[in-house]
Amino acid sequence: MIEVRELTIHYGEFAAVDQLSFSVRPGSIFGLIGPNGAGKTSAIKAIATLLEPTYGEIIVQEVSALHQAEKARGFLGYMPDFPPVYEDLKVWEFCDLFAQAYGLSGEQKKAKVLQSLHATGLQDHMHTLCRTLSRGMHQRALLAKTLVHQPAVLLLDEPAANLDPKSRIDLRNILKSLAHQGKTILLSSHVLSEIEDTCDTLGFMREGKMVLSGTLDEISQERQKKNFLKIRLAKPFPLLEKIILSIPALSLFEDTGENGTEARACMDGGEMEASEVLARLVEAGVPVSGFAIEKTRVEDLFLELESQPARKGDQP
Amino acid sequence: MNPLIRRGIRERLRAKNLVAAGIFSLILTATFYLAAFFDGMQVVVPAKESPTGVAELAFNPVNGAREAFTPLLFLQGFFLMFLGTGRIASVTAEEKESGLLDYQRMTPMTPLAKIFGYLFGLPAREYWMFLVTLPFLLHCVVAGKLPLWNILHLYAVFFCSVLLYHLTAHVIGLVVPRPRAASWVARLAVLGLYIFLPALGQAGISFLSFLTILPTYFGKVLPHLFAEGTQMGRFESQVVQFWQEVPFFSISLSPTTFTFVMQGLILLALFLTGYRKWRLDSLPAFSKPMGLGLFATLQFLLLGSLWPFFSDGQASGLLGSVVQLDPAQVGLPNQLKSDAHPALAMVVVQSTFFLLSIGAILILINICCPNPHRRLKGIQRIQKLGLPAIPWLADEAPGLGFATLLALLAILPYALLHLLAVSSESIVSISSSPSSIIVPASFLLFCALSLRAAREQWFNLGFWGFVGLLWLTPMLACLVLAVNDFLGNSQLMLHLSSLSPLTFIPQLMVYHSPNLVDPANPLVDLSASVRTGMVACIIGFVFLTFKLWKSSIK
Repeated sequence: MIEVRELTIHYGEFAAVDQLSFSVRPGSIFGLIGPNGAGKTSAIKAIATLLEPTYGEIIVQEVSALHQAEKARGFLGYMPDFPPVYEDLKVWEFCDLFAQAYGLSGEQKKAKVLQSLHATGLQDHMHTLCRTLSRGMHQRALLAKTLVHQPAVLLLDEPAANLDPKSRIDLRNILKSLAHQGKTILLSSHVLSEIEDTCDTLGFMREGKMVLSGTLDEISQERQKKNFLKIRLAKPFPLLEKIILSIPALSLFEDTGENGTEARACMDGGEMEASEVLARLVEAGVPVSGFAIEKTRVEDLFLELESQPARKGDQP
Repeated sequence: MNPLIRRGIRERLRAKNLVAAGIFSLILTATFYLAAFFDGMQVVVPAKESPTGVAELAFNPVNGAREAFTPLLFLQGFFLMFLGTGRIASVTAEEKESGLLDYQRMTPMTPLAKIFGYLFGLPAREYWMFLVTLPFLLHCVVAGKLPLWNILHLYAVFFCSVLLYHLTAHVIGLVVPRPRAASWVARLAVLGLYIFLPALGQAGISFLSFLTILPTYFGKVLPHLFAEGTQMGRFESQVVQFWQEVPFFSISLSPTTFTFVMQGLILLALFLTGYRKWRLDSLPAFSKPMGLGLFATLQFLLLGSLWPFFSDGQASGLLGSVVQLDPAQVGLPNQLKSDAHPALAMVVVQSTFFLLSIGAILILINICCPNPHRRLKGIQRIQKLGLPAIPWLADEAPGLGFATLLALLAILPYALLHLLAVSSESIVSISSSPSSIIVPASFLLFCALSLRAAREQWFNLGFWGFVGLLWLTPMLACLVLAVNDFLGNSQLMLHLSSLSPLTFIPQLMVYHSPNLVDPANPLVDLSASVRTGMVACIIGFVFLTFKLWKSSIK
């Protein structure tokens, strides 16, 4: 597990991370989201014991990462943003180096190296020099190195950057399988759909602070009195927009489908209000063939947070 | 095997590298060695000594091997010391910049194991090239009938030096942010630390001579490298004599022992720096206690080296030669007394002592005193934790006590040496006035405190800009004035040069030397320029300290 309490990192007078607190339980994948400069990378580097915070506490597997950094490092697997590799080593040599550095030897070392190469789909490229790998393969080699000592906690900074769609799906599956094995995973990403599909818990960072955190449903409930309704029609109905906007609970209309058979509307309230809306639509003669409360998207939340004004007095 | 050494072998010694580097080394070594060997082997036998009555060319392999030893040693030094050092510095800095070093930092290997891994892994190819030269060395020792014990002495010191150079490069790679700069900074540092500083051995600071392999080479091996039947020349005898034993306090040490002690101390300091940087990149290279310990050691070595000179006027090297000269042989300027050369030697030694101390204080204050960011971090931390003050030895703590202690640590041996010379019957060229201790000591203290105040309120550009402006510009202005009209501008030049510690210290020493300047023939008024220097130093200290205090309040 990871527990971060009041983590604060200053660069001079500028607080890159400001009183950040959150925890990630074992078996969970926690996604850190935020615009550039939000403090995600600084926070991850501090948890990885690579950056000295101004103050705060970081506990990794019940060990203080600040006061017992050497011990905490044994539990951590860290993959940085823009990760480099030893270009003149072969892929298996690269993993072997770290397996040995983490104290593995003999048959156990060999087995772990092969296991991590299999887990990342690199078994066919194990004798390739790292310098000749494609970006996606390069990223996989890094993940293989990160997994080789089977760390209990994984810190992944933008792991999906540079990956093609197939590799992203593979990465998602690998991470989910690792979470099932009880690993604690903290990742940051700009690829919001990736975060949404991979993580079970999210944290939105902005200007060094955690502005929202929890599961997507928890965040939605806490965050929103509003929901989006998805309405499908059996046939086009020209008066739909007028009817929707006449219902007080609804405030926005979007024609989302071809031929005017699909629409999206923003609603104040939850399921009770939705059933009333449905009744009003049917009463008005709208040929409703499908009706659902749309699941909140990370992208919507992100954009909503982004559109809010910055804190007064903060540096960019 | 250390995984980082294995990595170095895998990266740099694959079969094709092994063959290419091996052939390169073999060709280069064979060319140098054989050329020197055949050249040294030939001896012309004069006609009168020849059995045939005609001058002949004879061949002596012993002489050839002895002739070839030095080029071989030079080549081995080139492989390990030049190529290896550059490689370690640039790769360390590159890996630091790219983040590869962070991967290693996070592994549970001890910092010591990581340092060893880098020292022996990165120059794997250079070590291989060195290995290729070993058959030539073996031939040289056997054919040249060189004493094995002395050769072992030399190579033990050689490897200690290689380790020292490589560790210097590694630490510089960890400290210097830009990879391209790191490679050259490392080579320059090696030149400065191990070529330039040892030259100060000639000025009485004998311990500085023992940072290189030269003392062991000259003292232990050179006497055995002369051709059979030839005698050492006067110059060679002097060189060999200079490196035979090292005066330290009232004892003498062998050059090899002293070299090991000196290099061991530097290795220790570098290891401690490497250890800190491996633990956390953002830590300063030295903690305050480490800085104090290092400076105290330097002062102890200075004290021990200068003890024989201040107690009974004994000195080795050029300094020793100057002291023993006949006054009639020395052409001193009219403004100096005719028998002023021992006093001049005393001024040189005292100035060297002070300049070395002030140089070390500058470096340590730059490293150990916090810059504004670090200072602010300390303040933010104690505010959050509700502590009354930052612990005074913490990296974030203000360096007032640290700078004061550094100055006192330098003043103490100076005062001790000064009093030793005053009480010695064989030293007449030293002033017994208390001001000859108090004035230089006050200057050193104010200088250290000004540097500390500058460090804590400015970042690197501001701090080094301030040091450069104050320490170098007056000297450059003096240069221009000297070219314009040396005699006419001499008093102005003295005033200007008193603003820079580098030129003010020799002035102070000359001013307090009783037997140097001829009072009947004064060219300049030294007391006026000494007053200028002291006043400027105090004004600088008050201004910078006030400015720092104001910024702290804010």
